Amino acid sequence: MSTFYERFERHDHAAGLKAQSTHYCPGCGHGLAHKYLARAIEELGVQDRTIAISPVGCSVFLYYYLDVGNTQAAHGRAPAVALGHKFANPDSVVVSYQGDGDLASIGLTEIMHAAQLGVPITVIFVNNAVYGMTGGQLAPTTLMGQKTTTSPLGRDRTMGQPLRMAELIAQLDGPVYVERVALFDAKQRVRAAKAIKKALRLQVENKGFSLVEVLSECPTHLHLTPLEAQRWVKESMLPVFPLGVKKDATPTDWGTWQKADFDPDALLEAVGARAPPVPRFCSGFPHGLFGGDIGLKLAGAGGDGAQTAAMLIARAAINEGFDATHIPSYGPESRGGTSYADVRLAQDEVFSPDVPTPHVLVAFNAPSLAKFGLAVAPGGVVVYDSSVVREPPAFDASVRAIGVPCSEIAAELGERKVKNTVALGALQCATGLFPDETFLAAIRQALQGKSKLVAVNEEAFRRGMRAAEGCGADDGWFGWWI
Amino acid sequence: MAPVEVRPKPVLRSKYCKGCGRCIDACAQGLIERGTDIHPASGLVPIALHPEACNGCGLCVDACPEPYGLVSASLAAELDASEDRRRFPHPRLPAEEVPAARAALPEGRPLVVKGTHAAAIGALLAGCRHFFGYPITPSTEGAELMAKLLPSLGGVFLQAPSEVATVNMMYGCGGAGRPVMTFTSSPGFSLMLEGISYMIGAEVPGVFVDVMRAGPGLGNIGPEQADLKLACRGLGHGNTHAVVLAPATPQEMLDFTMLAFELSFRYRNPVVLLADGHLGEMTGKVTLPAELVRPGEPAWAVSGDAAHRRNLIASILLKETDQEAHNLGLLEKYARMAEGEQRAELFRCEDAEVLVVACTTPARMAKGAVRALRDVGIAAGLFRPQTVWPFPIRSLLPLLGRARRVVVVEASGGQLEDELRLALSHAGASTGVEIQHVRRMGGVLPSQGEIVEAIRGKRSSRKVVAA
Ligand code: SF4
Ligand code: SF4
Ligand code: SF4
Repeated sequence: MSTFYERFERHDHAAGLKAQSTHYCPGCGHGLAHKYLARAIEELGVQDRTIAISPVGCSVFLYYYLDVGNTQAAHGRAPAVALGHKFANPDSVVVSYQGDGDLASIGLTEIMHAAQLGVPITVIFVNNAVYGMTGGQLAPTTLMGQKTTTSPLGRDRTMGQPLRMAELIAQLDGPVYVERVALFDAKQRVRAAKAIKKALRLQVENKGFSLVEVLSECPTHLHLTPLEAQRWVKESMLPVFPLGVKKDATPTDWGTWQKADFDPDALLEAVGARAPPVPRFCSGFPHGLFGGDIGLKLAGAGGDGAQTAAMLIARAAINEGFDATHIPSYGPESRGGTSYADVRLAQDEVFSPDVPTPHVLVAFNAPSLAKFGLAVAPGGVVVYDSSVVREPPAFDASVRAIGVPCSEIAAELGERKVKNTVALGALQCATGLFPDETFLAAIRQALQGKSKLVAVNEEAFRRGMRAAEGCGADDGWFGWWI
Repeated sequence: MAPVEVRPKPVLRSKYCKGCGRCIDACAQGLIERGTDIHPASGLVPIALHPEACNGCGLCVDACPEPYGLVSASLAAELDASEDRRRFPHPRLPAEEVPAARAALPEGRPLVVKGTHAAAIGALLAGCRHFFGYPITPSTEGAELMAKLLPSLGGVFLQAPSEVATVNMMYGCGGAGRPVMTFTSSPGFSLMLEGISYMIGAEVPGVFVDVMRAGPGLGNIGPEQADLKLACRGLGHGNTHAVVLAPATPQEMLDFTMLAFELSFRYRNPVVLLADGHLGEMTGKVTLPAELVRPGEPAWAVSGDAAHRRNLIASILLKETDQEAHNLGLLEKYARMAEGEQRAELFRCEDAEVLVVACTTPARMAKGAVRALRDVGIAAGLFRPQTVWPFPIRSLLPLLGRARRVVVVEASGGQLEDELRLALSHAGASTGVEIQHVRRMGGVLPSQGEIVEAIRGKRSSRKVVAA
């Protein structure tokens, strides 16, 4: 039996003649393209593995006929759907069957990118120079001068010129095989059948993407008899759409396909959850500090390390079994703009994660200090980089403001970027948020695999602490940043 | 002289001949001519074949566009032999359903990750090994993590040329029965709606994590709850619905993404997970579950093997009554979702006189506000829908007897309130319900302080009336 269903049950429940008759108009080229495709599938012995993607257009009902796995796609999207299938089951043989409106107009993005991707799928592109299903409108492949219902006086330059898809696609790197064939006489039909089979075979052999453009007859909308339509394709279409192989790359194997891995250990490893918990040093949540949950804001310019420091605080709290959140926000510049971080810490659960009135503000530059300084909650703490902020604003009397030369200390340590760790040390000195060891452990955890950086960051932290006490000492450390 | 090969002659099955004449042109021997009589079954005029001098070259068969019009002798024989057997699809039992399995996950340490990363990890735990997506702020970090992790787990990450291509890749991959997902953000989600409608119509599972940002149009990349309406009421054309999950913490980003995959396959329907820009970027503590999922293989999948060859993924039913029946089936499915999937968190609602309704990140500000209001003696409670569609009306209704007012806190122009009002209306509880709101938009979320202020400043004595 052929690769066609014996009874077309999906064709109006196989009522009457529809059980074995297509919905195509007499003489329509689609039936031939179907037939050669069906035969290629049969001859290559891949019927079980084949998945046909039906497009939108006259061939939307390909799935009525072809006895293979079938998926019907939205207009123009068949190549994307085909890729979804191919990646889902690399052993499947996926055919995207499309008309000219579908492939060359609305689906141009999908076909071009699928072709360039080069993944082994097979595209059968039926070009009959007119929209069939919607009733004979201008197609992207309609010939100049050709009359359609939306080019009633004939296509002229104002409607653009016909797109030569086979040539367009052949000049991409991705495809291994592109050919344009026709159906208008016995010789062409033999070539068409051969080309379709080759395109399919290249997929079966995992070689790569192939496309066969089939010049086809739409007698109905050409207002010609089938035989006149054959002649029209030969005489009018061929000069615009020359037949032949457009690309036939020496096909190497496309590549190996991965096999999905569901091993629990592999997954834990991948997401970084394998390590043992970090030890705890805290006896309890620092409720006394600010009377409950703690909100911190770290603000500076991109590159100041506000986000890294914020993450470190959140991580330290979570290591201690508390809850913490960190929300970053950035200015619109992709580099060097403002960079603010809201951190909130709670014993059990952070409710509101934003920090409009921080208990602790760490400001790395004057604009940040100006922007958030006055929002600091009464009784709060401000740590700012006194290397760059020369004249701090006047704060609420209850606010403790501590200027620490973070940048200078970092420079002394040999790496400007550890200034955020210096600031963290200062913050720790000013608040005693958690035990020092909590932060040092979080630093070590964050720098896992970069052990060279641990020492300089630990030192930056201690220098920050000492500086906040007013006892910073220059002991000439060198190193890197977090 | 070499023996002349005797090739079997073609057979004309005239009721399936459309009289197109392509075979006439094909026969070099001139053995085919136009017919003269209308066929009583087809109403068309089949050709007349004079096979006496036929050499069986088969060129006419190759020229016939009808699969069962002009056929080879062998096909004709096969067709005759099976004429009265209804063989559709080929006599093959439906594929067996291979259910998803769970495997124990060794205990690891809690993660400290941002919301998008938590969702990505949730997807991996749910057995998702196929990701298609297009970069868009503020969702991209989720995609980036998938790009980093999937190759080491034998998975597929493909950056599509657009959101339109993305959703159609998901349609293909989901139609093959694989757990598949994407990350996107509001403008990208808009672009995906056509494909989501197809997925719903064709009953294809897939998970969409939409990290909502401010709109309309390009808007900005700040957090908004701009897509509640789209997700709940506007999933493309047609009668569409999907479970819409609304996490509020990175932990829920992970948990709900896992749940999304489960629901997506349970109902053969896409599931939408709505986060907002803050939740996507918010880092928090995330504990991993005790088990991960090894996906099964659904019987309905189009997966390119013998067992599944009979399957079709499509949303087109040409016959109107078929399409209507399909719609009725979908509506029945939505009713099951509405019945079975309502989820909500209730915080201090037992004795609440002011019910604050909020979801995603604004719900956390609202929770803070509820605590602050309780501290000053106002009996507030938070009702947090974890599914926005279906709206968890069942757990809301009993609270309305005591509540004096409902305050909807949201980062949109009333999209959550609309869902609430619709749900109340359908439940017959809308009359007399006093609903107030605190709304921010454009990338600004309502703060705890302004919620407290709004509620303290807007006391009301009118009673919410529940039916
Ligand atoms: S309208 Fe044209 S393309 Fe469509 S079925 Fe008829 S002949 Fe074929
Ligand atoms: S098989 Fe060849 S010779 Fe015979 S009718 Fe067909 S085309 Fe003519
Ligand atoms: S090609 Fe087929 S359908 Fe057309 S006239 Fe010949 S037998 Fe009939």
